[in-house]
Formats: sequence, C-alpha cells, structure tokens
Amino acid sequence: MMRPLAEILSESQALLATGRPAAVEALLKPHLAGGIGPIPLWKLLAVALRRQGRFAAARPIQEMIVETLPGDLSAHYDLADTLLTLGEFERGFREYRYRYSLPHTRAIERKVQRPRWEGTPIPGKTLLIHDEQGFGDTFQFIRLTRAARERSQARVIVEVNQAAFSLIQRSYPDFHVIPRGQLPPPFDYHCELMSLPAALGLQLADLPGDVAYLQAAPERIERWRARLRDLPRPLVALAWAGRPSHPNDASRSMPLATFAPLASTGVHCVAVQKGPAADEETPTGLALTRLGPEIADFEDTAAILSVADLLISVDSSPAHLAGGLGRPAWVLLPFEPEWRWLLTREDSPWYPQHRLFRQKTPGDWVGVMEQVRTVLHKMAEQHARQPQRAVS
Amino acid sequence: MNSSDQSLTAPSLLTLPEALRRAHAHWTAGQAAQAELLCQRILAVHPGQPDALHLLGLMAYAYGRLDAAVDLLRRVCSAPQVAASYLSDFAEMCRQRGLLEEGEAAARKAVTQAPNMAAGWNNLGIILQEMGRYAESRTCLEKVLAMQPENAEILNNLGNTCLRQGEVVQAERYWRQALALKPDYAKAHSNLAKLLAERRQYDEALELGRRAIALDPQLADAYINLAALESERERYLEALKWLDALLAVRADHPVALAAHAFVLTKLERLTDALASAERAVRFAPDNAEAQYALGYVLQTLGRPQEALAAYEQAATRPGTKAEDALVARAALFMEQGRKTEAEEAFERALERFPQSVNVWYSWADLKKFRRGDPLIQRMQALFDRGENLLPQARMVLHFALGKAYLDAGDSVQAFWHLDRGNAQKRATFTYDAAATSRLMADIADAFPTDLFARRQGTGAESSLPVFVVGMPRSGTTLTEQILASHHAVCGAGELGHLQWVVAGIVNYPHAVQTAAAGAIRAWGEAYLERVTPLAQGARYVVDKMPANFLHAGLIHLALPQARIIHCRRNAADTCLSCYSKLFSGDQRFSYNQEELGRFYRDYERLMDHWRTVLPSTHFLEVDYEAIIEDLEGEARRMLTFLGLDWDPACLEFHKTERTVRTASVNQVRQPIYKTSAGRWRAHAQQLLPLLAVLGLDEPL
Repeated sequence: MMRPLAEILSESQALLATGRPAAVEALLKPHLAGGIGPIPLWKLLAVALRRQGRFAAARPIQEMIVETLPGDLSAHYDLADTLLTLGEFERGFREYRYRYSLPHTRAIERKVQRPRWEGTPIPGKTLLIHDEQGFGDTFQFIRLTRAARERSQARVIVEVNQAAFSLIQRSYPDFHVIPRGQLPPPFDYHCELMSLPAALGLQLADLPGDVAYLQAAPERIERWRARLRDLPRPLVALAWAGRPSHPNDASRSMPLATFAPLASTGVHCVAVQKGPAADEETPTGLALTRLGPEIADFEDTAAILSVADLLISVDSSPAHLAGGLGRPAWVLLPFEPEWRWLLTREDSPWYPQHRLFRQKTPGDWVGVMEQVRTVLHKMAEQHARQPQRAVS
Repeated sequence: MNSSDQSLTAPSLLTLPEALRRAHAHWTAGQAAQAELLCQRILAVHPGQPDALHLLGLMAYAYGRLDAAVDLLRRVCSAPQVAASYLSDFAEMCRQRGLLEEGEAAARKAVTQAPNMAAGWNNLGIILQEMGRYAESRTCLEKVLAMQPENAEILNNLGNTCLRQGEVVQAERYWRQALALKPDYAKAHSNLAKLLAERRQYDEALELGRRAIALDPQLADAYINLAALESERERYLEALKWLDALLAVRADHPVALAAHAFVLTKLERLTDALASAERAVRFAPDNAEAQYALGYVLQTLGRPQEALAAYEQAATRPGTKAEDALVARAALFMEQGRKTEAEEAFERALERFPQSVNVWYSWADLKKFRRGDPLIQRMQALFDRGENLLPQARMVLHFALGKAYLDAGDSVQAFWHLDRGNAQKRATFTYDAAATSRLMADIADAFPTDLFARRQGTGAESSLPVFVVGMPRSGTTLTEQILASHHAVCGAGELGHLQWVVAGIVNYPHAVQTAAAGAIRAWGEAYLERVTPLAQGARYVVDKMPANFLHAGLIHLALPQARIIHCRRNAADTCLSCYSKLFSGDQRFSYNQEELGRFYRDYERLMDHWRTVLPSTHFLEVDYEAIIEDLEGEARRMLTFLGLDWDPACLEFHKTERTVRTASVNQVRQPIYKTSAGRWRAHAQQLLPLLAVLGLDEPL
C-alpha cells in the first residue's frame, strides 16, 4: 500500500503500453480506495477505464480531477474528450477550448489578434472562420459555416488548408473562401472551425444539419468514371491507414493484409490509400486496383468516392470526405474510438449514410473484418440480383 | 502563386510601408510565421527599422517570451524619434517584467508625446499602482476612464487602485460596472470576491471566486483570494486545497507559496511551511509577500533574528505587504521586550501607512495609555474620519480605542467602543452557548471519579508534558513564563496538538469510558510524538493552551504522569480582559457579555469536577492574584509540584530570552502587573450584563 508513487506510475504506464488496462485498474484500485488518492493515479485510472471502453466510469473521475485542479488544462481537455465521446456536447465542446493549452499544442495555437466570435449576432462585421489540424476535421465541420453566418449575421470569410481549398471553394460558392497562408481581407472577429460547435451551442439533436454539402468537380468525376468504367460493380473504395503522425494511429490504422477475408466476397476494390501504407502488398485473392499513384489531391479522392458504390475505411479523412459528399461509407473503428464516432452505435448522427463497425475487444480487426465480410457478401449478392444501374 | 507569397519571396518588390502593412495584417490574422519572415526581410534591408522591431517584440510577447520582447522594445524606444504607442507598449512589458522605474519613464514619455492616448495613461496608471503611488495612479486612470467610459479593463484597474487607497465602496462600484460591461471578465470577478470576503460575505465571495476560475482556470489571484477567504474563516484545509491546486500548475508562484507557508503554519506543519516560504524567497527574492511569509514562519519557529531580517526585507519592498511587515517587525521587537525599538518601529509604520488600523491595534496593545495621551487623539481622529474604512478595520479600531480608553480610565468611552467592536465581531460567526454548556457537562460526566482507577496503566508513560490551563487572560502566559525561566523547563507556547488528538477521537467524550487500552495509549503517544521534539533536552515541556482545561481528564487518562497547572483569576477581571481583546484565535464565547459570563460559569463547574477527580500530585491550582502578591512563594510552590530545585531565574522571568506569542505578550515583559487586580470594579456600570450572569451584580 505504501509503495512509492513513481513506482506505481511507471508500472501502470508499462501495463498500459502493453495493452493491459484492466491490470492497471486492479493495480490502482487499492491505492484509491475510499475515494482519496494522488491525482496522477486518478488520471491513470481514467485512462485505464477508457481503454476498456468504460467512458461513463471515467467521466466522474475526470470531472473530479478538473474540480480539484481547475488550472490543469490538460485535464480539461481529457474531460472534453470523454464528454464528447459520451455525446455530452454542451460541456464537452466548452472544455474542448483547451485543445491548444496542452504541452504539445501550445506552440501551434494560432494567435489571432482579434476577438473570438462567441455566438452573438455581429451584423455588419466580418468574421474569419479558419480550419485547424486534420483534413477530416475540415470536411466534417465545414457544414457549420452556414449556421455561423446565419447566427452572426456577419460577412464570413472561410480559410481552409490548401489541400481542401478547391473542393471547399466549389462547395461554398456563396462564401468568400481563401487558402491557408494567404493574407485574409480585414476582419473584426475570428473563430476556429472546431470552436463553432461551442459558439453555436451545437447539440447532438441538431445533427446532421446540412448533408451532401461537398461536391466533387464534374470534370474529375467524368475522368474517374471513364477510368473505372471497366471495373465490375459493386465497386468498393478502400482506405486502411490514416496519417502515421496521428497520436492514435497505431490503434486506428491496420495493415492491408487484414482485408484478406474480403476476397471471398468477390467484390472488386479500388485503393484510395495514400502515404507509405499505399505500397503494402495486396492479400492473395483480393481484387484490388491501386489508384494511389493516380490520385493527385482530394479532388481526385472526392471524384472516386462519387463514382464508387461504397467506401470501406478506417477512421481517416476519406471517411469524412465521403460523409461530406453524402456517399455511403463503412467506417472501421478501434475499441476506443475518437469522440466523433460516439459509443456502441452502428450509425453516425453526423453522416446518415455511414455504417460503423467497431472492435469488440481492443485490437480485434479480425472480428471487425468478419462482420464486414458478411455484410459485404450480402450486398454483393443483392447487387448481382439487381439489373445494372447507372452510377451518378 | 498569390500576391502574399510573392511578398514573402521578393520583399524588395514591395515598398517599405506596404511590407509593414502586410506584416501587421499577417500578425493580426495570427499568421505569425509570415509576419516574422516579412519583419526579418525588412530588417535585412533596413537594419534597426523600428516598426519591424516593434512587431517582432509584440509577437515575442504574445508567445510568452517576455525577456526577448523587452529587449526588442528597448531597442525601439532608445531611438530619439519613437511612436508614443511603442513607448506605451514598452511600459507595460516593463511592468510585467518588474522593471517599474523604466516602465514609468517610458509611459511618461508616451503620454507627454500623445496626451490623448488612453493606453499610455492606463499603463502609467497601473505602473504607479504597483509602485504604491495610489493617488497618482488614480488620476491617470480617471483620465483614461473619461476617454473610454465603457472600457471594462480600465474600470477594473481603477477598482484596484481605489481598494488600495482604502476606498472600498468606490472600488466595488467600479468592479461591478466592469462586470456589467463584460460579464465574463475573470479578473473583475476575482477582485470583487476578495472584497466581499474581507467584508465577510463569504458565500457570495466564494461563488464569484469559483466563477473567476471557471472563466480563467489559470488566474492565480482567484486561487489566492479563495485561499485567503477560507483562511479568514479558519478553514485551513480548504485554503490549502486552493493553494495546492494553483501550485500544481504554477509551482513557483511566489505569492501562492507565501500563502501556502501561512496556511501550513496555521496547521502546525512548520517544516513544510518553512520549505514553502524559502522556496518563495528563492524564486522571488524581491517579493514582499515571500519575504514576509519567511519572517512569519521563522518567528513561529522561534528564530527572531532571522525573522526580523526577513520582515525588514519585506518592509523595504514596494506594495501593500510592507504594512504587515512593518507591524510584524514592531510586534516582534515587542515580543522580545525591546520596547524602544518597538515604539520606533510603530512610528515608522505609521509614517508610511498613516491609515493603518493594524498598526494602531498592535501599538495600542503594547502601550500603556495615560489620560489625554496624544496617541489616543491621533487614533480617534482616524476613527472620526473613517467613513471609508472597511467594516473589519472599523472593528479593529474599536478594540484599539477601547483598550486605550480603558488604560486612560475613561470607562464610558472605552465601553462605547468595546461594545460596538464586540458586537461587530460577534456578528461574523455563529456560537451556541447552550451547546458549549452541554459539552462541558458531558465531559465531566464522561470522567467519573472511578474511571481513572479502572483504567489505571492504560496511558502513555511520560512525565515530559506540563499543561498550563485555564480561562484565556487568567495568567497562563505569566505562569508559563515563570516556569520556562527554569533551566530544566522548555516553554512551547500554545500548542494545538491536544486538540488534534481530541479531534481524532470518534464520539468524544463518551468514547473514553469504553476505549481500548491500546487506543488510550495511542492518544497519549500521538501527543508525545509531536511535543518531544520541542523539548530540546529539557525535563519538562510546557504547553500553555488555555482551552486544554476542557481535557484535563483526558490528559490524566492518556498521560497519567503529566502535570496540570490550573491558573485561576478573579472572574470579573478575567472576563473584562477577554472582552477588551480581539483574539487572533477562535474564542467565540468572548464577544458578548452574557455569553462570556455563561462560559465562565461552565468553566468553573468543570474545574470543580476536575478538582475532585484528579490527584493533587498531578493537578495544581495557582491564583493569579497570589502570584502578584508573592511571586517567589508561588514560584517555589509550582517548582516543588514539579519536583524541581529552586532557580532564581524564575523571579527574573521578564528577562528570559524567548518569544511569547499570545494575547498577554506585553505584560510578561513587565516585572509584574499589579494594576490588573480588581480592575473590573472601576467599570462595573458598563459590565452589568456580565456581572449578572456571574452573580456579582448585587454587592457593588
């Protein structure tokens, strides 16, 4: 009982690193009996509970930590993550404002020298909305710009990363869209894209809001339709890995080899995977056409998704791009998902056409793939029975 | 490529004004990298270009690199022609860096150059505030307010200056105005919380403080104010919680460390307290609060010379803490019996802080006033002018004046002040006299005569502790001082240890009858564990916490060899003395004449019980009046009781080199204080409610 704190901490870290959160919980429990104990142990317990998917149990602990150490901004952020995962948007997005107060994010906060828009009407003013880190975030939250314009009654400038710029510009012709890095015109207020939910008081019930709010370029669709014309239907796009630098990449990405069981469905796949994972070897028997080298930008991906019948993807930007385009996707999720996918449910309130496949136990992609195979098999059979339909 | 990218790659194609405009626009949009690159390019072509340097300085400041920012702005501001706004920015950065004089010079230059620039006056105003030049600060800030009446920051700054000038009503008005304009203004919440706490509106203050933290979780002042609030109402563990929360994220915050040291001292965790105070001074040797805290802990630890040095350090720093330091310094001279130095120190404190009631209270406590004493007139003048005094300050002044008029023999004036001061103090807490009566009766019942025989051999074996108990103001300090002058005795002062032991006994006092022998021994050992280190080789350690009279039975049970000395004094004199005192500790029975009388009667009854159940070998009663009449005889009686040889030093107790830390401090420095016997008779008319309860109202 009287072991040194540092020793308990390092043992717990080691257990977490080897994927044994239940052992961490067992290790910590006696030290936290009676509801009192050092905050670092409580923090670890919360992590251990989350790793076991027990977000509701982690929540009161994280609330207690924030109550005890209000100045610990990382603790606020951790609580935000849990609350959002539980669908508690109001406090969740409020605490989410500390995302740039973490040791590794402090330096990347954009210090705009104008006040942040907090949701009040500012008629006659100019509001700069700017996107942040991940491409997926931009595709997911860009839908809120219209609501922000209505609420603020302001002239809105939308600044997005270069890679998403042309797609967003086309999809929001009624907005002044500029690429990141360019000098924006003068403005009075600003708001980060991911701060819009808090400013707007976004609730789970408000979703999905706008759907199919992104449009692929018609000429690219034409080109990809021609390119994919000879491939059999249903045509399924695949993405198996996210950006490797993402902190949670190890649990959200998988090797292409995991898709081997899908070979038995006979469905033809196209790989929209980019980055180093794009070069992984195709599993035996899987009908896979590699498109990676032909994909120049998100415009190509958007066009492919508009032509293909389905996207099967891990939790990465193509899943959000498909969602924004209103195209169906099956998203394969790790046991401890990102907050935006919520818990247990098989659908996503953000994207009505999406279907979620979750790991039943940590790391179990095999089980996920078995479910996917079953459903995909049915889909292929149905498809075979139907007359060939034109794909828009 | 868009036009801005061109500007980055080929600045020579841009005119200087256009390049600067773009650099500023990039920075406004939070595009620091582009802005910085443009500035660097400009400086490569135009070395020392002031606008580019200024912008680089602003960016360094925004990213928390204050030293770099100050260096850059200093370069800009050293040029003969410099924009007033740059001087103003530099002034504020200097302030944050603690360079008050350099900041003042820059701000003054700014407002001379641009008398209509609000920012310059505002920055000058807060620099002056930090320098303790409140009247000048007020003038500057009022000028700004006239220019920008809707500016919440200026209202907040003005409130701060007003508070430091003692104009609480105006301060509150400004803060509330600031909050009306900017409801999410964390600092204004926190400032208002502090004010309300001082006014003892604790609940509202707590709410405001919590709100401040919710709005800005790293606003250090909010935590410190909440800790002060909880300390004020003696919830030290709560206070510690707020400070620990702040120190968890700001480990080197000097004011938080200073407050931490205070609270730990109150909790008698002196080693930890010293560590916190030393850490505060190490991080911020120029911080008055840190130096003051160090002095306080050192004084508590019985290291007066080092404490005086720390107080002196604190007293020479700018700011309001110097007042406390000057008072503490004077009071420490007083505790050491260095009366002339003490008087000089008080005058020095008043020179610098003529409005300070704390200076007056401490001085009044030390001084013996005569009728028509000019010091009384000075005090009275402060009181008569005192509409702006905080209620707390008014109350303190009531007690100081009450004491002075008592000395001077002016009963009517004395009680006019004492009755008001006591009533005001009494209104700040709840006290249930009936519950106290019940508690004392329960304690007597829990220790029947046969208990000690039944539980013989269960306590901890040590004759080290000697308990001096009684009513407050009954001569316990004098008694301890006489004993501690003996070479074999160490005086430890008023220790809270026994109360800690009691607090740990579930269902006290009823539990003692059925407690296991092991538990009883553990109580005694818990006390010994804390007291033994204080002995420093002495045969006896004297704990003179008067309120331990409540637990004389427990003492004899858990520490059967410990000696108990009960100090007795005339009931009315004792109560008068209590009533004229604003205790620093918790003496809730003392602020209403009837409650005070009732407490005294309950105490008497309990002592009657102890007299019948405790053996005379371990329980001795000493009368204050007898000590005054025959010091040597009573001293010899006490030494015999302790089994000690005669030591003539006991008669020279007022020369003993040690610090005394209780309300009776100055009397023990006088050879003997005969004037206090029978003093109540002169004030019988004013003491009628008390005398009635004591049963002394008839034979006047």
